[in-house]
Amino acid sequence: MLAWNEMRRAKVRFGLLCGAVGLLVFLILFQQALLGGLVTDFIGAVDNQDAPVLVFNDQARSNVEGSFLFPDQAAAIAGVDGVASTGFIGEGTYTVETGGEIRDAVMFGYELGGLGAPSSLVEGRLPAAPGEAVSSAADRDNGFGIGDVVQIVGDGGPTIVIVGLADDLRWSVAPTMFASYDTFEAAQRAVNPQSSVVFPSLVGVQPVDGVDIGELTDRINSEVDGVEALSRQEAVDGNPGVQGVSQSFGIILGLAFLVVTLVIGFFFMILTVHKARALTLLRAVGASSRYLVKNLLVQILMVLAIGSFLGVVMTVALLRLGPSGEVSAKLDPSSVAATLLGLVVLALIGGLAAVRRVLRIDPMSATSGAGQ
Amino acid sequence: MSALQLSDVRKVYRSGDQDIAALDHATLDVGDDEIVALVGPSGSGKTTLLSIAGGLLRPTSGSVVVAGHDISGYEDKKLTAFRGSEVGFVFQSVNLVPFLTARENLLVVAEMTGKPKGPARSRADQLLEELGLGGRSRNLPDQLSGGERQRVAIGRALMNEPGLALFDEPTSALDTEMGEQVMTLIRTEVKERGVAAVVVTHDTRMTHFADRKVEITDGRLAASGG
Repeated sequence: MLAWNEMRRAKVRFGLLCGAVGLLVFLILFQQALLGGLVTDFIGAVDNQDAPVLVFNDQARSNVEGSFLFPDQAAAIAGVDGVASTGFIGEGTYTVETGGEIRDAVMFGYELGGLGAPSSLVEGRLPAAPGEAVSSAADRDNGFGIGDVVQIVGDGGPTIVIVGLADDLRWSVAPTMFASYDTFEAAQRAVNPQSSVVFPSLVGVQPVDGVDIGELTDRINSEVDGVEALSRQEAVDGNPGVQGVSQSFGIILGLAFLVVTLVIGFFFMILTVHKARALTLLRAVGASSRYLVKNLLVQILMVLAIGSFLGVVMTVALLRLGPSGEVSAKLDPSSVAATLLGLVVLALIGGLAAVRRVLRIDPMSATSGAGQ
Repeated sequence: MSALQLSDVRKVYRSGDQDIAALDHATLDVGDDEIVALVGPSGSGKTTLLSIAGGLLRPTSGSVVVAGHDISGYEDKKLTAFRGSEVGFVFQSVNLVPFLTARENLLVVAEMTGKPKGPARSRADQLLEELGLGGRSRNLPDQLSGGERQRVAIGRALMNEPGLALFDEPTSALDTEMGEQVMTLIRTEVKERGVAAVVVTHDTRMTHFADRKVEITDGRLAASGG
C-alpha cells in the first residue's frame, strides 16, 4: 500500500523515472535486436545449413573466405573413425546481374543430396540440378525471389534460377544463394579463368550415430594435418566478423546497463533522503526495517516493470513500423527475457544504497523531528 | 495491573570524559486508563522518559514494564514490534506521512503490523468519525489544518488499540483554543477506551486535563498531585 500510494501521489516524479527507464530499455533492446539481426546476416548461411561439423583449413582461423582444402585432406577426413559421410562445400562472393541491376551476392555450393543444404526453407524447394538455387528470403524483393534469374558476371558465368527461399540465410550481410557444387565450380572458373582446379572451401561432416561431435572434431584435428574441424556452433561463434560486431555492441550494451543501474540507484537514493522524516516516523511507530525495505524494493520493481513495458512496446513498434534497411533487426524473446531479468538484478543492486540508508534510520529521531 | 512501571530508571549519556544523566533514578507508575501529565522545563528529560517508556530508547539501568512486559532488555526487532502493537505515539513535530491521506495514515499502522484489512478499515473510519474528521479522511496532510493534523495523529496513535498512549507536546503548535480542543479529544478518546496516557507538556494550562501531574527537573521526577 505504502509503495503504490506514494507512486500515485507523485505521478510526475515516478512517471519521468519510468519514462527514462523505458527509453534505456528501448535503447538496450533495439541495440540487441540490431546486433541479433546483424549477427544473423553475417553467419546465417553457416548456422542454417545441415552439416553438423565443418572442417576448415587451419590457416583460415574460422574464416570461410580464407579457407580451402586439398583433395588429400578431404579424403583423410572421410577416413577418420566416426565419420559417416562428408561433402564438399564451396563459398564465393560474386558480382551478379539480377532484376536488371548489378549487385554483389554470395553463393554456397554443396553436393546436391549431400551435406551443406539449407535447413530453413520457407518457400519453394531445394535445388535439384545445376543452375538452380535457394536464396535468402530477406532478398526476395531485390532480384532473388522464386523464379528470378541471377547471372554470375564473368566469362561464361552460370545462370541461376531461384527455386526456393530460406530464412536467415545471408552471409556477410549480402544476398546469399545455395546451389549445386557444380554451379559453384562454374562460377569460380568464370571469375578466375586462369585457375585449373577449384578447391572446396570447407568439408561438411556427418558423424556416425551416437558419436559425440566434440570428440569427433578432436579426432579429425589430431589425425588430419592442416585442418581445423569445428561444430556448426563453433564455426558461427568463431566467425571474425561476428566476434568484432559482438565486442563493439557488447561495450555499448554494457554502458547502457550501467546507466540503468545508476539512474535507478541515484533516483531512489534521492527519494529516500527526501522522505527520511516520514520513514523515521514510520520506524518510530512500529514499522520494521524489513517493511520499509520491502516497500522500497516493490517501488523499484514497479518502476522497472513499467519502464520495461514501455521499452518493449517502443522496440516492437519501431521494428514493425520502422523502415526496413539493408540490415535486419531481430528481437529474440529469450534474450529479451534474459535482458529484463538482468535489469531486475542491476536495478536491485542500484537500489542498495537507498536500502542501506533506510536500514540506518534511527527511530529515536522522530522525537526531535530530525530524521535527516 | 499498571499500564506503565518505571523503576529506578537512569539514562546516562557520555560526553567527553563526563557522564550526563538525562534521567536520574526515575520511578513512575501509571495505572490503567490513567492520564499523567509530565511537566518540566526544556531539557529536563521529559522526552527521554517518554522515549524510554515507548521503547524508542533503552535505559542505562532500571526496569521498564509496559502492560506486564519488561522491555528493558528487548533487542531492536522486539522493540519495533512492541512499539507497533503496545504503544501509541503522538510526536511534537513530525506526525503524519505526507503522501498518505488521513485515512491511509491510520491504515498504514495496521498494515505494517500485519493486522487484517477489513477490521482495520472499520476502525480507521470509526476513529476519524469520532475525531470529527469523517469528511476529511481522503485529504492529504498538507490539505489539513494544524488541529486536524494533530487529531489524525491521535487517531493513528490509537489505531492498534494500545494499552499506553504517549503524547509529546501535542498542543505546542496550536493556539490555546485549539490546544484545549485537542486535549479534550485526547481525554475523551483514551478514557472511552481505557487507555493509559502520558502527556508531556510545558504548558501548565493543559495539565488539568490529566488525572495527575508529575514534574521533572534535571532528569528527576517529583509527584505534584492532580
